[in-house]
Amino acid sequence: MMAALDQVILFVVDLLALFATYLIINTGLNLQEGVTGIPNFGIVLAVAGGAYVTGSLSTRLAVVLLGVQTNLDPISNNIAVLQLINPVLRSQPAISLGLLILFLLIGGAAGALMGLISSAPAVRLREDYLAITLLAFGEVLNVIGNGFTPLIGGPIGVSLPDVFGWAGEHRFYFATLVMLVIAIAMFAGAGYLIRTPFGRVLRAIRDNEPVAMSLGKDIARYRTSSILVGSLLCGVAGSLWALYSGAVTPTYARFEWTFLPWLMILLGGMGTNLGTILGTLIFVTLDKLIIYYKYSFAGILPFDIVWLNYLLLGIITIIILIYRPEGIVREKWAPSRQSRAEKAKKTG
Amino acid sequence: MGSLLKVEGLRRSFGNLHALDGVSLSVDEKTLTILIGPNGSGKTTLLNVITGFQKPDSGRVYYAGNEITGWSPQRVYDQGIARTFQIPAMFGKLSTLENLLVADKNHPGESISKAVLKRLWGRHEQEVTDKASKILELLGLAEQRNTPASLLSGGQMKLVEIGRALMSDAKLYLLDEPVSGVNPTLAHGIFERIIGLREQYGLTFLIIEHRLDIALKYVDYVNAMASGKLIAAGSPKEVIADPRVIEAYLGG
Repeated sequence: MMAALDQVILFVVDLLALFATYLIINTGLNLQEGVTGIPNFGIVLAVAGGAYVTGSLSTRLAVVLLGVQTNLDPISNNIAVLQLINPVLRSQPAISLGLLILFLLIGGAAGALMGLISSAPAVRLREDYLAITLLAFGEVLNVIGNGFTPLIGGPIGVSLPDVFGWAGEHRFYFATLVMLVIAIAMFAGAGYLIRTPFGRVLRAIRDNEPVAMSLGKDIARYRTSSILVGSLLCGVAGSLWALYSGAVTPTYARFEWTFLPWLMILLGGMGTNLGTILGTLIFVTLDKLIIYYKYSFAGILPFDIVWLNYLLLGIITIIILIYRPEGIVREKWAPSRQSRAEKAKKTG
Repeated sequence: MGSLLKVEGLRRSFGNLHALDGVSLSVDEKTLTILIGPNGSGKTTLLNVITGFQKPDSGRVYYAGNEITGWSPQRVYDQGIARTFQIPAMFGKLSTLENLLVADKNHPGESISKAVLKRLWGRHEQEVTDKASKILELLGLAEQRNTPASLLSGGQMKLVEIGRALMSDAKLYLLDEPVSGVNPTLAHGIFERIIGLREQYGLTFLIIEHRLDIALKYVDYVNAMASGKLIAAGSPKEVIADPRVIEAYLGG
């Protein structure tokens, strides 16, 4: 009985950690695509940027900041160096949290930098060309991560200082809680930003760029701001995920960190904050449930069960696009409670 | 009455097509001037060149005595020239009120660094909301204030465009077919409101319009274009009687 309960808790905690990570990423993506209309198919760049730069700098910084005496290289002798660092962190919760915040700032900055790089074409290209360019951009970092070993040790990757280690056996619970708090804070912050006059201009640009220009708005500046903030969020998420999993390898794939976020915001409803959180929650839960139970279907279904979750998610996506292309939550900025139909009748 | 807008020898070609072939005209302050001409005669191109959406190949544009040739749309807008578009262009998912609010100039809350603290822009937001509400009232759109703009009727969209232009406190308004596709009653209503604005605030209008049956009654001056050239200018009576205009436009 207890074992079963433990398993449920483990399942939920695991799910919540992934949910928190995706919530941050999807908030960043929604700000770009849903609110500003920038089809960023390269958010993996910012996520991986945050993760890789955190992976690359965290052990090095920890050595310096904790004053650990060693001649070993933090990347090539990564495990040996961490054996010196982690015991210190385990006994110092305050310092661990300080490092966590520092690493997240670094991850966010790395993400924003990646955003800045992608914004160069983004403010100049038309939507369809831009989507393809950003798609290609996303692949660049893995090539660098694989080939340039000082970054994160090449294909084998690096481990990171365990900033949650002091929580002992509750490490995963605590890490998940921290992730959730950060995710909700960023989600709420973005929700606020969308409703400010700044967010209003972003939505106006999305709805009609030439008119926004005719009203004196500097389109390039707003698009850049949107990409920077969105990418910063993605960078923080990448950094957080790396710290949570304890290691980074150059395998941050477009599928997981670009296509899935896109599916989630499509499912929830583009441009709405409520849609973002609903889409993320439903999608992550479904995905986890399918993965968890799919092996029960082994032998029953006439194909390799490994692909079941991809298949089902694909079917769900097609169903959304056919029957409810605007997603679960429709964008409704007007405070009025009247239904759209009523409004249409009245103003028709 | 001095001239507020003056263009001299504007030329603009698209390949072999001379959309503007040396156009010179001036618009006097506090007047309502209409620009007529057959389709493809270069009227919208002229508006685009004045507002910076297209650069002229040659020629000059002056506004209130200063040369503004080739300025960016943002700069032109900041100088006090507002425009509307031929096909009503809404921020479809924004409410009618928000459509107007976006048009505010120098809103502190539109800068991302200040947007973070509502204290820095809340009061200004209240002021522009009041101003927008007054304009909506004036245009008879008060009831549609919270309606997403994409759900408005064509005529209402035309009004929102004018309202958006009014938010800028511009002196000169360039309206591209403000009453096309609008029923005659509302069309007269729109022109009456334009006249009212001119009387009340001393605004100047340059309007492209085909609906002469409605417009002529209200305008002070008529400029007629054909094939990228200005073929006649003067009072409505003179221009309508001009044989060149009749040949080119009214289909004599």
